[in-house]
Amino acid sequence: MMAAKTTMIKKIMAKRPSEWRLLVKDPWLLSLVTWLPPLLFFMIYAIFSQGMARNLPVGVVDLDHSKLSRSLIRYYDASPTISITGNYPSTLQGAKAMRGGEIYGLVVISADTQKNATLGRSPKVEAFYNSQFLLIGKQVKSAILQAHATAVAKIDTLKNLSLHTKVLGQAIAEAVPVGTQATPLFNSNNNYAQFLVSAIIPALWQIFIVMATLLSMSAELRRDGLAEWLKDRPVRALIEKMAPYSLIFWLQGIVFWLTMYVVIGWPMHGHLGFLIGCQLITVIACQCAGALIFFLSRDAARGLGIAAAYCAPGLAFMGVTFPATDMTLLARIWRSLMPVSHYIDIQIAQVNYGAAPVLCLPQLRSLLLFIIPGILVCFLAVRISHKYLQTQEAL
Amino acid sequence: MNIFQLFKAELGAIFTNPALLLTVFGGVFFYSFLYPLPYASQVPREQKVVVVNLDDSQLSRRLVRMVDATPQVKIQGKANSLAQAKEQMITQKLAGILVIPENFYRDLLQGKRPTLSFAGDASYFLVFGTVLEGMSMAGMTLSAEVKITQLLMSGQPMALAKQQYNAVTLGLHALFNETGGYVNYVIPAVFVLILHQTLIMGMGILGGSENEVFREGETRYWQTASPWALLLVRSTIFFIIYTLLSLYYYGPAYVFYDIPRLAALGDLALLNLVFLLSVSFLGICLGTILPRRELATLIVLLTSMPMVFACGFIWPTSAIPMFINTPMQLIPAVPAIKAFILLNQMGACFQQILPQVIHLTILAALYGTTALVLLKWRKCRTEGVQHL
Repeated sequence: MMAAKTTMIKKIMAKRPSEWRLLVKDPWLLSLVTWLPPLLFFMIYAIFSQGMARNLPVGVVDLDHSKLSRSLIRYYDASPTISITGNYPSTLQGAKAMRGGEIYGLVVISADTQKNATLGRSPKVEAFYNSQFLLIGKQVKSAILQAHATAVAKIDTLKNLSLHTKVLGQAIAEAVPVGTQATPLFNSNNNYAQFLVSAIIPALWQIFIVMATLLSMSAELRRDGLAEWLKDRPVRALIEKMAPYSLIFWLQGIVFWLTMYVVIGWPMHGHLGFLIGCQLITVIACQCAGALIFFLSRDAARGLGIAAAYCAPGLAFMGVTFPATDMTLLARIWRSLMPVSHYIDIQIAQVNYGAAPVLCLPQLRSLLLFIIPGILVCFLAVRISHKYLQTQEAL
Repeated sequence: MNIFQLFKAELGAIFTNPALLLTVFGGVFFYSFLYPLPYASQVPREQKVVVVNLDDSQLSRRLVRMVDATPQVKIQGKANSLAQAKEQMITQKLAGILVIPENFYRDLLQGKRPTLSFAGDASYFLVFGTVLEGMSMAGMTLSAEVKITQLLMSGQPMALAKQQYNAVTLGLHALFNETGGYVNYVIPAVFVLILHQTLIMGMGILGGSENEVFREGETRYWQTASPWALLLVRSTIFFIIYTLLSLYYYGPAYVFYDIPRLAALGDLALLNLVFLLSVSFLGICLGTILPRRELATLIVLLTSMPMVFACGFIWPTSAIPMFINTPMQLIPAVPAIKAFILLNQMGACFQQILPQVIHLTILAALYGTTALVLLKWRKCRTEGVQHL
């Protein structure tokens, strides 16, 4: 009896290798927390590094072959966003090129355009843009619109100058009576890299954190099972397991944000300290969510499959590409279940608006609510540990 | 072991693997609802905007009403200064600010060309674009009205003035996704990606499970079967399963989300054949080398995002650097997404997607050969173990 008890105590007290040592021995987990995140983040940045789309191919069907049509085409071609790459003899052929994805837009100048313009019949130029590729299509659309407005204003101004008005300013005012000026706030040169990359990286970050949590815990499953890992100190075992990763991912978060807002130099208007604090809370929230998925599935493959379903569509639900206010209730509920969607609200408020931290309290409160899955995980762990102790007792 | 026994054994292995079933069947069905979920309303509407009317004339108030009347913009409130408007915008999470300058009406009458200023929150591009569209539409309408009035004042009859307010007008039309809906934009690409990723995960889970069993020293049917037969049987089974799943995606799921299906069935089937073959072979390759079954899921999940952004439907391929674009061509989803969109959403004919079909065929040949070599290598290894 006595001997049995001492072996049991010995077994419980047996020195466990530290989490760091386990991490170094697992090449997959080690890659996941060291070189993979910077590599993926760099890839995403490289994809969008040009920042703006330039010289998107647009075709033209010129049925007029006049001075006016050629000058219009020159104006379209002058736009930095689009570039006239093809001249098609008929609309049919132009449409075919559109369907084949060779061009993103097509401008059709019908016959007698110049004649009608001279006669004051106001001819119409038809332009088509590919809105299947929505983001690209929108750029082509606004480029054509802008180039056309410039062309017409110049033609009108010249007409006004030659007809009656002698002053250039007045001629312009007659051609375009109301001027408009659009100012993109918080991303002043409409930079896609800044807009998308700063949202994709947190989404990827969440994936990395959740995956690392699951992999590190399933390593225990492979070693001696959960009970042997949790033993009689489940909460401590959990914290000892998660803390090193919290630290690693928090540091990663800080490094990536420094890269974006200091090295690359995108503007950052908020409190850096507050943002970094929120990052730590986000890391822990993601770990709690990942741990709950693991403890509910208790299987590496199924757990990872569920985690993939949970965090892979993160970016879509974050509300950066498509506004959260236009999402349905169900989508908003799913959105609120992901830590990163609350984090991105804080990041945008801090980085772009330079908002006072007080304004971010609702999001911070939501992030803190992820303590609930954390508590559930502890509860499940304690139950496993109880069972373990009972079987040990029975021995 | 003949081919029918192998077929039965494979089916048994697949349909008794819960992780595989969850990923393939559960994943495909669940994702078909989850991914379109955030975009259910298709286009953002009625974005809230604050107006700073420094002119406060009858005309400027009319302009404000015109902006409010557009489907894109909703005037949420008024501010007395730009600073106040900016504060309101941040605290109330508004999408933009419209500034009507002082003496707008007077300047307009005197032909001094006043400038309307729109400022939008460009942290959210889609919202910014929507607000801008609504505001400039109202601005353009007002501009046209003013011009017509000027022409009328100069003595032109109304009918002629209406015709002549612009030298050359522009008719802009959206093609393929006329409403600019977000579901129609994202889903056709994402569905191809889901089929690609779950197929690789399924193959990876199957292969990884086998490798786990192998390390425990058990002998199973796949260690004795010839690599040729195993490759043939496994890819045939997955091809059948995924053809059925694709039928669900390109059929009822597309009908449910009202996504156009322009492709002829034969063309779609042919493209699907080379697509599924290349992906199956890639999956078998991964399955033979991955030591554990969960690792396929990990690889698939991590590669998803770079793949989505590099395959050209979000960001033009010409703007992506070569060192990213070239290795991406090794992933079947990259040419496949383009080909499926061209064929099914834009109505391209089969000749136009021929480059992608050839690309996929080459990938299928490449991964098929590699899979065969790897399966042979694995068999040699197991036999080596047995001889010991």
